[in-house]
Amino acid sequence: MSASQSAVRSRAEAVKVSRTFDWMILFTLFFVVLGGYHIHYMLTGGDWDFWTDWKDRRLWVTVAPIVSITFPAAVQACLWYRYRLPFGAVVCVLGLLLGEWVNRYLNFWGWTYFPVNFCFPSNLIPGAIVLDGIMLLGGSMTLTAVLGGLAWGLLFYPGNWPIIAPLHVPVEYNGMMMTLADLQGYNYVRTGTPEYIRMVEKGTLRTFGKDVAPVSAFFSGFVSIIIYFLWHFFGRWFASTAFVSGENV
Amino acid sequence: MKLLKDKAAKLSFVALLAATSASMLYTPTAAAHGEKSQAAFMRMRTIHWFDLNWSKEEVKVNDTMTLSGKFYVFSGWPETVDKPEVAFLNVGEPGAVFIRAGSWIGGQLVPRSASLELGETYEFKVLLKARRPGDWHIHAMMNVQGGGPIIGPGKWTTITGSMRDFVNPVTTLTGETINLETYNLENTYFWHALWYALGLAWLAYWVRKPMFIPRSIAIESGKANTLITATDKKVGMAFTAGTIALVAMTMATTNEKYPVTTPLQAGLLRNMKTFEMPAPTVAVKVEDATYRVPGRAMQMTLKITNNGDSAVRLGEFNTASVRFLDSAVLEDTTGYPDDLLAEDGLTVSDNSPLAPGQTRTVQVTASDAAWEVYRLADLIYDPDSRFAGLLFFFDEAGKRQMVTVDAPLIPVFI
Repeated sequence: MSASQSAVRSRAEAVKVSRTFDWMILFTLFFVVLGGYHIHYMLTGGDWDFWTDWKDRRLWVTVAPIVSITFPAAVQACLWYRYRLPFGAVVCVLGLLLGEWVNRYLNFWGWTYFPVNFCFPSNLIPGAIVLDGIMLLGGSMTLTAVLGGLAWGLLFYPGNWPIIAPLHVPVEYNGMMMTLADLQGYNYVRTGTPEYIRMVEKGTLRTFGKDVAPVSAFFSGFVSIIIYFLWHFFGRWFASTAFVSGENV
Repeated sequence: MKLLKDKAAKLSFVALLAATSASMLYTPTAAAHGEKSQAAFMRMRTIHWFDLNWSKEEVKVNDTMTLSGKFYVFSGWPETVDKPEVAFLNVGEPGAVFIRAGSWIGGQLVPRSASLELGETYEFKVLLKARRPGDWHIHAMMNVQGGGPIIGPGKWTTITGSMRDFVNPVTTLTGETINLETYNLENTYFWHALWYALGLAWLAYWVRKPMFIPRSIAIESGKANTLITATDKKVGMAFTAGTIALVAMTMATTNEKYPVTTPLQAGLLRNMKTFEMPAPTVAVKVEDATYRVPGRAMQMTLKITNNGDSAVRLGEFNTASVRFLDSAVLEDTTGYPDDLLAEDGLTVSDNSPLAPGQTRTVQVTASDAAWEVYRLADLIYDPDSRFAGLLFFFDEAGKRQMVTVDAPLIPVFI
């Protein structure tokens, strides 16, 4: 076979090679994103995602969506512009959650014995499906940023509420009232994470009484729109192809 | 050449085998908490722990033990460390091997951070419930915002039994008794599995079709619009609308199932009750203090005045949780950790009873390997080379009084 001949001899072979290539790329993408996104989210979302006694109705709702829309926006932009594939957000979140579950189970539980019901990750999949769905239906990055980014922020708290609500049942403990999540944080000793590090229920959003979560979610959604724009440019830049002429090599 | 290659291959194989064996066979327990690495001035001049008691040395899973004692918040708190206006009484342990069933400062429960006053003494107690079997080093610990963890003395404690038997029953204000160790676990797994399955379904819909090469070629040739079919859009609509509907529905059913929920609790506890130590009648002035590096001994020249009505003797010098005792005056009967106890580590040039109204200048030497082992000698490398500690004097009736000392420390190298 000369250098100018094709490596495949038939359409069937071409399809087979193409599918093999599909799986190789998808496998690589999944685990590269898992690693990168996981590190990013641990560094920026960190304790808000690690512990139930950080999952509050103000800051967790605000911070977690803002810092987590990054990779989905970038990968979505890359997959949409280059391939018209609307699963960038979902593949990111599936990778992140797999990495997080492995980490929480093997490290948090296996090495340091924190019960899994205290250190499970946040659920980001509802927002990811809607983000990809809007991308597919609208076919527009702007629309996806505005509607999808907002939905990403808005769906986060209700999407997690069925998991965390049981831990917000109050308990009287040695004469003080706290939630079961607070009690988990108190019972299961974290030598390096003292109580004062916890950033919960802080801020000046006091005029909405107990209904502060929707306001926080809206704010989070607005900022997620901006972050989506910013990170989708990273994705587009990453997906761009640049040719250089031979003279410049 | 081949001989060389073979030799290199053999040696590489042996090296690999040795490295693998070494890493597999030599796995020492990482059980300490870096207490020896913390800057010596931090341990000497911030929180002084004393009268510590670990109620048990061996405890079964589900049984409890208490770690109790007192701590003095040093009045000469170093400028380089934030003051303990926000502090949290913690426990130093390797993972949640004990759960903290309760902790109190001055009788008040402290599940949250508390504000401490310089120059005050506080009594504390931590109730620990055994969870994971093993030998664990359990420390008293105070976390200070802006200052970091200030670790107190630690003692080896053994937990026996099986972690499988551990239970953490709690009765909620809605009247339900739950085991917090496993509570909500199935619910968490269920929702995560369900949503993960939905995410995988979305992915599966797209990956069953050719992905990268054909679609890239289509886009390059201007046929991007042909890549999304009407069925794709219907599926997308179903997933999007279905997700929003499912989220709304499960939120509503959860609210019905848990009508009473409260926000996370947070806040700072102020006005903690202090422990009133007897007012000292002994006045101590540090004339000078040196640390003799080769001899691992600290020597102080103290001018001691007894303003009380009973003769006193110096029995103990306590710094950074290391206790130097003059055994002629004081013997430890509390089971204090051996490595932190120098039973004959305190030498006083004249430790005869100091009569009321009398003043005496004495040479006090605190010597023990603990200076080196606990890296207190590293004080000479700290940014503020001062030492501090607690002196305990005893009268003839055994009544104790505490006096603090705080002075520059000059190292002696020869």
